Amino acid sequence: MTATVNQRSSRVAAWSPAKLFSARNIVVLVVVVGVLIFTPSVVGAYWTRIFTICTIFSIAAAGIALLYGRLGLVSLGQVSLIGVGGWITLRIGHATSLPFEVVLVIAAIGTGIIGVLVGLPALRLSGLNLAIVTLMLAGAFEVIFNVTGFPNGGDGFLGRAQGGVLQQPLARPSLGTTDPDYFRYVVVVAAIMFLVIGLHLSNRPGRAWAAIRQSEAGALAAGIGTVRYRLWALAVVSATTGVAGGLLAGNAGLLDPISFKAPASILLFATVLIGGAYSLVGAVIAGFLSQGVPPLLNAWGLDGNLIFVLLGFGMIQAITTAPQGIAGQLQGLVRRIAGAIAKRRSR
Amino acid sequence: MTGSLVADGLTVVYGGVKPLDDVSLTFDRDVCGLVGPNGAGKTTFFNALSGFAQPSAGSLAFDGEDILAMNAAKRARWGLRRTFQQEQVIHGLSGWDNVRLAAEHTGGGRAAVERAIDFVGLDGVDRAGSQLSMLERRLVEIAKTVVGSPKLVLLDEPGAGLDQSETERLISLIRQIPNEFGALVILVDHDMDLVSTVCGTTAVLDFGHVIAIGPTATVLGSANVRKAYLGTADMEADE
Amino acid sequence: MILPFVVAGLVLGALYALSGVGMLVLYRTTGVLNFGYGALGAMSAMLAWQFAELRMQPVLAYALGILVATALSLLFGFLAGPFLATVTTLTKATATLGLALILLGVMLFAWNDKARFLRLATDTIGFQLGTRITVTQIICLGLATVIVIGTSLYLRHSPTGTSMRALASDRELASMLGIRVRRVELLAWAVSGALGGISGILLSSQTRLEPLFLTFIVIPVLAAVVVGRFKSLVGTLVGGLVIGVVQAVASAFPSTSPFSNATPFVVATIVILYLQRRKVVTIEVSR
Repeated sequence: MTATVNQRSSRVAAWSPAKLFSARNIVVLVVVVGVLIFTPSVVGAYWTRIFTICTIFSIAAAGIALLYGRLGLVSLGQVSLIGVGGWITLRIGHATSLPFEVVLVIAAIGTGIIGVLVGLPALRLSGLNLAIVTLMLAGAFEVIFNVTGFPNGGDGFLGRAQGGVLQQPLARPSLGTTDPDYFRYVVVVAAIMFLVIGLHLSNRPGRAWAAIRQSEAGALAAGIGTVRYRLWALAVVSATTGVAGGLLAGNAGLLDPISFKAPASILLFATVLIGGAYSLVGAVIAGFLSQGVPPLLNAWGLDGNLIFVLLGFGMIQAITTAPQGIAGQLQGLVRRIAGAIAKRRSR
Repeated sequence: MTGSLVADGLTVVYGGVKPLDDVSLTFDRDVCGLVGPNGAGKTTFFNALSGFAQPSAGSLAFDGEDILAMNAAKRARWGLRRTFQQEQVIHGLSGWDNVRLAAEHTGGGRAAVERAIDFVGLDGVDRAGSQLSMLERRLVEIAKTVVGSPKLVLLDEPGAGLDQSETERLISLIRQIPNEFGALVILVDHDMDLVSTVCGTTAVLDFGHVIAIGPTATVLGSANVRKAYLGTADMEADE
Repeated sequence: MILPFVVAGLVLGALYALSGVGMLVLYRTTGVLNFGYGALGAMSAMLAWQFAELRMQPVLAYALGILVATALSLLFGFLAGPFLATVTTLTKATATLGLALILLGVMLFAWNDKARFLRLATDTIGFQLGTRITVTQIICLGLATVIVIGTSLYLRHSPTGTSMRALASDRELASMLGIRVRRVELLAWAVSGALGGISGILLSSQTRLEPLFLTFIVIPVLAAVVVGRFKSLVGTLVGGLVIGVVQAVASAFPSTSPFSNATPFVVATIVILYLQRRKVVTIEVSR
């Protein structure tokens, strides 16, 4: 499973007009703007809400993809980090009157710190050992969330409302109070998170991570401080996943421990493998697979539990025949079409 | 003028085995060779030099600087570069990016990358590592070792997998490294022709000991070196 | 009085260990750490329950459930075996996650997620030993010990057991020695499936008969295997028992009770970190 997507050479600087306004970037921009403007009116209220959650989970999926696709590390505990981000957002949001955006930043920093602290002892692990430890951590966090619950306007460190005091959902950000507006808000934040991750992947950190994955010794021999770069990856992924948690908290205003159990992390990992761990498009697909397909199945009158069967087969298929996932196959298709067009032109 | 490497009493212990036993030598000029039968300790010497094996005794100094005081990544940044037997070209990155990788962690900029790539004469640097031929990959590895300001370049069987003409091209490149970049080069190889063509000084290891060191022609022709190789299929093939 | 907790903990721990042995045998022989192991056990328990509901003789129902688990494990090993042999242990394990999901989906589809009870006949008979112990619980403890010892002896002394150990140590070398690798591997899948089926039924009687819960009980079971350092059967037994008892005793006191379920996770994490503490940078260079 050592497929790698060939990254475009950085010899031509990314900031040059040729690259900045490349066909690919323009297409992406057009798609994102189109989605922003038209989605709510095209798909209706129910699906707007679903797509909001899909987008939120695609941010977490992008983090998993970075760890797995670029560094070869399997993390089976990412949903726990979403929970951490959500918890921080709710606590700070209830305790202060800071604008939602600031709270998100705090959640990002807080989750980043916690992710690094928890991951620090496990930094030297790789392969199966790391996967097992992250799974164990997911289990531990599940227990912790069951104990602490999520803040809902009460007092004390845990912020739980007691007894007769009604629980208060956290207010939506001022820029996104209605569902369609919140959807757009989430898409914009997600785009920023994807940009952050994408910039990391195509520049110095990404190259260093690729070197570390290929050979620890080779990386050291090239002067790469492997510990430092691993920590950096952990921090970036934890922070962006924390933002996803914050957005999730802002969506319903309340969070429940039941959404952050260990199996949820396994499922999210499965969707990343299927969607494609080597491209950010794959992360978007993963977000849809994990949160959009179950309601889709329901809409078609099928048992929502079939998602497990689909994901299970999809995962095995991704491992055996399509390691680059759906995104990889789509990109291959695009390349073949582009090649055919170019051939036609040159005749 | 290249610097000089002095090893004194270098010993490495793995479990009950001593791959390097009280090795003392000085390499101080241009391209030097390190040869010996299988298991002689050549790679262990490279590993000790580059920080992947901890010596239990002895010292390593380059122009007076204590090499053992730095960890592997620090040594690379200091100016110690090495290739591995198993090629380390990253498949998902372009040739350019592979060299750039080495540069950006050892203080080289764009100019250094271009100079290194021009030096080895690599074309089509935007192609991904997985699309490069064997020779091109070996050239990328050489480029990675010379980018920036290397002080000490360790080449571990740099010509493995290349045919005669490709090896000759590699030889002429390696020869120029000390002059072009001021780095001392130490070369490990089984190919005695390569070693005698390129290396001015050669040391011979056997069972972790230095059994000969001096001008290459003298050393390779000496009696006890032949004895060390006698009985191994290696030497018979080379003769 | 914590004795009831200690007993319950020993029983649960013995089941973790019993389950763990099945995982370990497969892992040692094929290198596959089967994350779908809990799902196999769950399938066995659900089927046993279903057949009993359909008025089948209980013993027959259990046997059938175990048989299906064995067959499913064997089938997966047969279909996926050749591919799995070519990939890393991480990839092997990841593939079994797919198996877990498929089985879970089928179970949730066939039966919904509501809580059911698997009542074994031996639940009603018991002894008073400071606290009440049912025969089922005695069976759990006894079976775990017997199977650990039995498997140990089997691996050490029987020809197929020795073949399994040879495979565990070096697959290619084993095949060069004339060992029918595929045959031995399939045997391991079958044995593993059978043990999974047995432990699944017992676990469901001691905890809950619920597909999701039983599928992911593989996580605490994995913790026991971790304590056994992925190679020692006795270590797995000790690991399981220790985890079970600590978890149960922790649940006896109000201050620690909410966190008691985290015991397997904490233990496994500490053990793995401890075992991997002196990680050496590996280089591909060989000479």
